[in-house]
Amino acid sequence: MINSQESYFNTFGVGEAQLSKLVEAALEHGGDYADLFFENSTYRELVLRDGKVSTGGFHVDYGVGIRVLKGDKTGYAYSESTQMRDMLATAEAASAIAMGSDTDGRTAAKIVREARSTAATYTVQHSNGDRLVRRFFTGRPNPAADRYPVAMDWRSAAVESLKPYLEKLETAIRRKDSRVLKVIGILEVSMSDILMYNSFSELKYDTRPMGTLAASVVFSDGKSIENSHVSRSFRMGAEMLTEDLIEGLAEQVTSRLDDKFSAKRPKGGVMPVVMGAGASGILLHEAMGHSFEADFNRKGQSIFAHRLGQKVCMDGINIVDDGTIRGNRGALNFDDEGVPGQRTCMVENGVLASYLHDRISAKFYGVTPTGNGRRESFRYNPIPRMRATYMEGGNSEPESIIASVKKGIYVDEFSNGEVKIGEGDFTFYVKSGYLIENGRLTMPVKDINIIGNGPKALADIVAVGNDPKIDDAAWTCGKEQSAAVSCGIPTVLVKELTVGGE
Amino acid sequence: MEIPWTITEEERLLAEECLGYAMKAGASGARVTMNKNMMDLFSMLNGELDKVTRSGDRSIMLCVFADGKYGTFSTNRLGEEELKDFAEKAVATVRLLEEDPCRKLPDPLRCAKGALTGLEMGLYDPEYAGMDASKRLDLARRACYFGDAKAEGVEVISEECEYSDSISDEYLIDSNGLSCRDIESSFEIGTEYTIQGADGRKYSAYWWDSSTALKDLGLETCGRRAFERALSTVGPAPIKKGRYNLVLSNEVSGRVLSPVLNALKGTALQQKNSFMLDSLGKKIFPSGLNIYDKPCEVGRLGSKLYDSEGVAQRERAIVKDGKVETYFINTYMAGKMGMAPTIESDQRPCVEPFGPAEARDEKSIMELCGDGILVCGFNGGNNNSSTGDFSYGIEGFHFKDGKIVKPVEGVVMTGNFLRLWNNLIASGRDSRPCRARQVPTLAFKDVDFSA
Repeated sequence: MINSQESYFNTFGVGEAQLSKLVEAALEHGGDYADLFFENSTYRELVLRDGKVSTGGFHVDYGVGIRVLKGDKTGYAYSESTQMRDMLATAEAASAIAMGSDTDGRTAAKIVREARSTAATYTVQHSNGDRLVRRFFTGRPNPAADRYPVAMDWRSAAVESLKPYLEKLETAIRRKDSRVLKVIGILEVSMSDILMYNSFSELKYDTRPMGTLAASVVFSDGKSIENSHVSRSFRMGAEMLTEDLIEGLAEQVTSRLDDKFSAKRPKGGVMPVVMGAGASGILLHEAMGHSFEADFNRKGQSIFAHRLGQKVCMDGINIVDDGTIRGNRGALNFDDEGVPGQRTCMVENGVLASYLHDRISAKFYGVTPTGNGRRESFRYNPIPRMRATYMEGGNSEPESIIASVKKGIYVDEFSNGEVKIGEGDFTFYVKSGYLIENGRLTMPVKDINIIGNGPKALADIVAVGNDPKIDDAAWTCGKEQSAAVSCGIPTVLVKELTVGGE
Repeated sequence: MEIPWTITEEERLLAEECLGYAMKAGASGARVTMNKNMMDLFSMLNGELDKVTRSGDRSIMLCVFADGKYGTFSTNRLGEEELKDFAEKAVATVRLLEEDPCRKLPDPLRCAKGALTGLEMGLYDPEYAGMDASKRLDLARRACYFGDAKAEGVEVISEECEYSDSISDEYLIDSNGLSCRDIESSFEIGTEYTIQGADGRKYSAYWWDSSTALKDLGLETCGRRAFERALSTVGPAPIKKGRYNLVLSNEVSGRVLSPVLNALKGTALQQKNSFMLDSLGKKIFPSGLNIYDKPCEVGRLGSKLYDSEGVAQRERAIVKDGKVETYFINTYMAGKMGMAPTIESDQRPCVEPFGPAEARDEKSIMELCGDGILVCGFNGGNNNSSTGDFSYGIEGFHFKDGKIVKPVEGVVMTGNFLRLWNNLIASGRDSRPCRARQVPTLAFKDVDFSA
């Protein structure tokens, strides 16, 4: 949602003159670049437990983060007050990174003027041969280009109007299966007003909505207990709450329940693994996406460092990180450095085509920032982060992929994943899946780990389904800070991964 | 003693006013927790300053009880008018929720009385008041090992070293007259090394230390230990799938205790989402296993005189001679479950020594076990909270005759927490002081490893 410039100035009690003065103060000791990130967030939650929406609340978070860059080095400080006196003190603290550096006798105002005149230090335009490709929208935010317009603002949605959705969710879940023992329903919503300004005089602002409806359900068949958790999360207002959404969640959380109760841990070993469409996209996020984040590559730590332009997987595979999907949890009009949200093809036809950049790494590599500079809140400096990370569809029928496996495993529900960036080693916890025997799904399996190595797993993808799917669950990435992301993948076959089992 | 960045008298009054506003707006009870923190962080990259961060936070959390209903609210906008509006809106919001008779403030008789100044637990180091940017930069530099590591002829890709110090102050009051305070300083150092082995592969490792007192911080050894750990992982090899003795380093042994403690919490038990259901008073664990909560030991990280409701902490047995002695039941869950309340959560759980007397630390426990897998880190994995089944990717070493043979790779450890703890061979005496959960090196027999 993009409101008027005035509304953001009013929210934070600032105007362009103050913003300019703060940037000058931040560069007082000779930094190369400074930016300001104002945030006014309201979070609300309602919890249904034991059939009643008896817990709820709201939370207010307000402040400004000020960053100074000196080369690749960062000074960062924030203030929970936007009184000019407090913000100037914060700018002074952030400027510490540049203390003692050589300013050649230039004043802060001169440094800012120089930065503005070149405007290239941290935002070089991408050069395509001799043709300058203008990829930046340098003007003020345009509501017509908004990726998350809000029909019903969460801040004005009354508690009475939201409670029934949780009650309906429980009713729908209990209606689906008699083995439901306990249901916790959670509605978490937020609206964040963001105002950004930097030493190039770029001014950006938007209001970011987020809504998440989730259910944790405990089932009992009289002999044993199982649990399941489902969620849907969107950058949308209260209009996201629909009967279809509730029905979809209820259906998902109760689906394949017989299999859940009968599932066993399979024998472990090295075997082909078929990743089901959708949530298996966590594989891309953890095993590949993090290794493509440019900060790890700039420092030489990533296993994909120095591999730009190299073949990393079979022809036809495209892996994308996308901030442009309307209403998606990872969508952004602008990243948290004011760079326009965009779609970045990391792997194009099997070749590593781009890292994910913030302004620092973009400057280092001499490329345009890709709009991946993100932060959890004004309390954090931005770093390269993913948005919606997915693999585009291929040409294989999902059924034929499964049929091609003599003995292996099919997985489609994950609850955790982690990667070691340098080594590329990853592990995923699989909540549920099936054995594949002679091309057919047979015994349900649960609670296993799949481990592998990112580059090897990517190179070992031998079939890509024609069923690409973005998973709209409430995925949250935890690289140093929390960030809302989403992921997706078509059905794919990895010819060899280690499955942990009995 | 003047302590910088702590809650001022004026701010205490703000918290009390917020409580008053809530009561005036019609709350039947309320609890206010004011938190104020300051943290300074200096990050070094390859021996040079890379990032300086200053973080100062001040917020109020308000729990409102009104008309038998309940809600939680927080804000960092602490102007007087803003607080009044916040408290009034909070009470109005609570009134729109549904009644839950189990929601109430804790009995004042159960609440802490002695947390008056916040300094009772001895977790504030006066050295903190003298910290400035140049001292912090010096400490960060002293923790680096980059130059020495390069001199050893190893191809170092990066050394990232972070020094931080912080102070936190909490002031908790409720409408029954409760008043508690807790002030802690913290000094922390962490280093991550990425090196390239002769095989061309990258290897990384991390080491960290933390203390409430600067003098106890393992500053000088941090970078070196991270480097040595990275070096020790070069040239890993897979192991044969099978059952092995497991030795869990004191760096990560808390990972197998946490799920057990979580399963003993009322929130999990009441939802029937716990593999410790109906375990109270039963001998679930091996004879001789003792786990105590020791939250009142002065000067020990994790110690605190009260929980988030203000209920007084005391030492209690969680597991005694294998028998489950405690569920963690807060006031709300006590009402829901029809049980007597205990405490919200474990605060500073300590696993006591178990097994032969010579089992003291990692080295002696590996010697005791003979052969097995030493696990020094985890990479992913999870557990099923209903069944206690787990599966974790691990990092560590294969050891034979009590000595490390080689690092392992591509290994997954699977099992069930109850079965695992019943296969406990030994618990050492080497818990790291920098952790609130005091879990020493542990050894278990017959653990499944896939590779």
